[in-house]
Amino acid sequence: MFFRRYLIPRFIQYILVIFFGITAVFIIPRLLPNDPVMRTIGELRARGATLEPGAMDKIITDLTQMYGLEGSWFDQYIAFWQRLARGDLGVSFFQFPTPVSTLILTALPWTVGLLLTTTILAWIIGNVLGAFAGYYAGSRWSQALDGVAMVIRPMPYYIFAFALLLLFAYAVRWFPVSGGAKLGMQPGWNWAFIQSVLWHSFLPALSIAILGMAVWFQTMKLVVQSVVGESYVQYARLSGVTERKIVSRYVFRNALLPQITGLALSLGLIFSGALITEIVFSYPGLGTLLYRAIINGDYNLIMGITIFSIFAITTAVLIVDLIYPLFDPRIRYS
Amino acid sequence: MDNTILRTEALHAYYVLDVYGKQKILKAVNEVDLAIQEDEIYGIAGESGCGKTTLLKALAAAVEPPLRVMSGRVTYRIAGEEVDVATLTPEEKRKLRLEYIAYVPQGSMSVFNPVARIKDTYRDFIESHISAGSKTEAFDLAREHLTELGLPIKILDAYPHQLSGGMRQRVTIALATLLKPRIIIGDEPTTALDVVVQRGVVQLLKDVQRKLQNTIVLVTHDMGVHANIADRIGIMYAGKIVEEAPTDKIFGAPAHPYTQYLINSLPKFGDKTPRESVPGSPPSLANLPSGCPFHPRCPHAKDICKQEMPGFTQVEPKHRVACWLVGEGEHGKAA
Repeated sequence: MFFRRYLIPRFIQYILVIFFGITAVFIIPRLLPNDPVMRTIGELRARGATLEPGAMDKIITDLTQMYGLEGSWFDQYIAFWQRLARGDLGVSFFQFPTPVSTLILTALPWTVGLLLTTTILAWIIGNVLGAFAGYYAGSRWSQALDGVAMVIRPMPYYIFAFALLLLFAYAVRWFPVSGGAKLGMQPGWNWAFIQSVLWHSFLPALSIAILGMAVWFQTMKLVVQSVVGESYVQYARLSGVTERKIVSRYVFRNALLPQITGLALSLGLIFSGALITEIVFSYPGLGTLLYRAIINGDYNLIMGITIFSIFAITTAVLIVDLIYPLFDPRIRYS
Repeated sequence: MDNTILRTEALHAYYVLDVYGKQKILKAVNEVDLAIQEDEIYGIAGESGCGKTTLLKALAAAVEPPLRVMSGRVTYRIAGEEVDVATLTPEEKRKLRLEYIAYVPQGSMSVFNPVARIKDTYRDFIESHISAGSKTEAFDLAREHLTELGLPIKILDAYPHQLSGGMRQRVTIALATLLKPRIIIGDEPTTALDVVVQRGVVQLLKDVQRKLQNTIVLVTHDMGVHANIADRIGIMYAGKIVEEAPTDKIFGAPAHPYTQYLINSLPKFGDKTPRESVPGSPPSLANLPSGCPFHPRCPHAKDICKQEMPGFTQVEPKHRVACWLVGEGEHGKAA
């Protein structure tokens, strides 16, 4: 029943979303007025390269092929899917001839390592603080925390990142200004490298985590405050259920439900990188990669990263949908 | 011998609200004297917004801000001794709940923890009061208890949303009797149920009372339910008890004009003439009329009604009414 009535339609939906998403990724750049081939040649010329007329034609043919721009849109579309099916996202033009997939896979551990840790940490700390602040909503410290969160939350995170950078990397030189690890260091599982990574990622992590915490704190506080007023909490109180049980099994357990959905969605967003934070700290993750690709007009790379994040987000949402009944018995797939 | 188990003396419970820096006071319970007996079902009736639920909160010792007891007191008789609930510590009050005084809420969709099975709610209730040993022992106790009341034990494995409204209401009653309390307080336990289910719920309450020989205080606006179950009824209007009598007296010889309206508005079998109801609507508890609060709606209002609140007149031994029309000239509070 579950299989036929829910799982299969849901899976078809998943495939369709990916299909249309990737189709959009294919169409949108082709609607743009600029021709990537001519643009590249223009850039080559601007750098002062002089080319023989015969060599020029050869370059145009090669570039057209490399960008998958041969033949009609329909032919291109078929070829595009064929390459995708082989896992071939093309080669990056500006880091020629590195395949796009290699670039993404090199940047991925940096981004995932940074964002997974900060997202989960911010979620846990923000929710714990928010839960208690909501439960003791009338107290001084709860109102003070709320005030702090209210100041942090509307702050644009790049401003926050810049402030941290200025304070702790420039004014007081405790942390490095940029990069993922010390320059020239070979990645590996040794203490020196890990130490360097942690040291370098501290400020970007802090900027993301503090803002995340403020958001989770505020939502959790509000949810807890509304759950405390629910009839099942009042009823349990009037039946003399111990306050410890009420807090853990009634209030927090129910307030956590929307937060779990929120966590899953933000985990999905990890795969598109923390664009501006990474740029501010020149962190070698997906965000910086995407930024460079946009600046350089590296179409294959832009498309590659976009396709990758379409996969990641839709898959994350699918997984949340499938495991959600574990948390909320009211959701049944039948 | 005095059999009073639950007593209120000149109880005033107000909601003190702070509305943009301005204090607003809702006089929800105003000078209420009740003496509820052991082994009795006492009904409290009245329109919406007349303070019934607030009175219940005070009776259940569950007064929390913004509600405050301004004066008067509520006492329980526990093991032969009168105990003022205001003197109890929070932990003492917690212990009394369910063991001595149990509360039956309206069995709405959100009355039970939505993510817990009924047996987990049972377990929470049991473990909070008696050391039931293991989880399975608590479940065994729950199963035994449901069987005793004639409810299906398979509901223990259900989640609240899987039960019907009537079944949820029955479970709240079952839970209330778990520790054989001396007092059960019901807040609209039959409201929002269709009449057939209502009958079952009322019957369950009656059975429970007969078995435990305890006291039930039942709040509902449904006079039909009161007629069915209550031994004695207090009619509440604008935070005051305006008339109190045994059920047959309330229905047979209502003395207060408000009670008369309530009784006359009930449909009678085979009578298709439109029923007359009370004109107007109940007064705002924040701005009560002077004198008798019912005078703006009362067809028999006299000058004195607008100026002074009438005290109780004893119409018959167990029948008292607060109205200037009854026992004219009698002043003061003859309780």
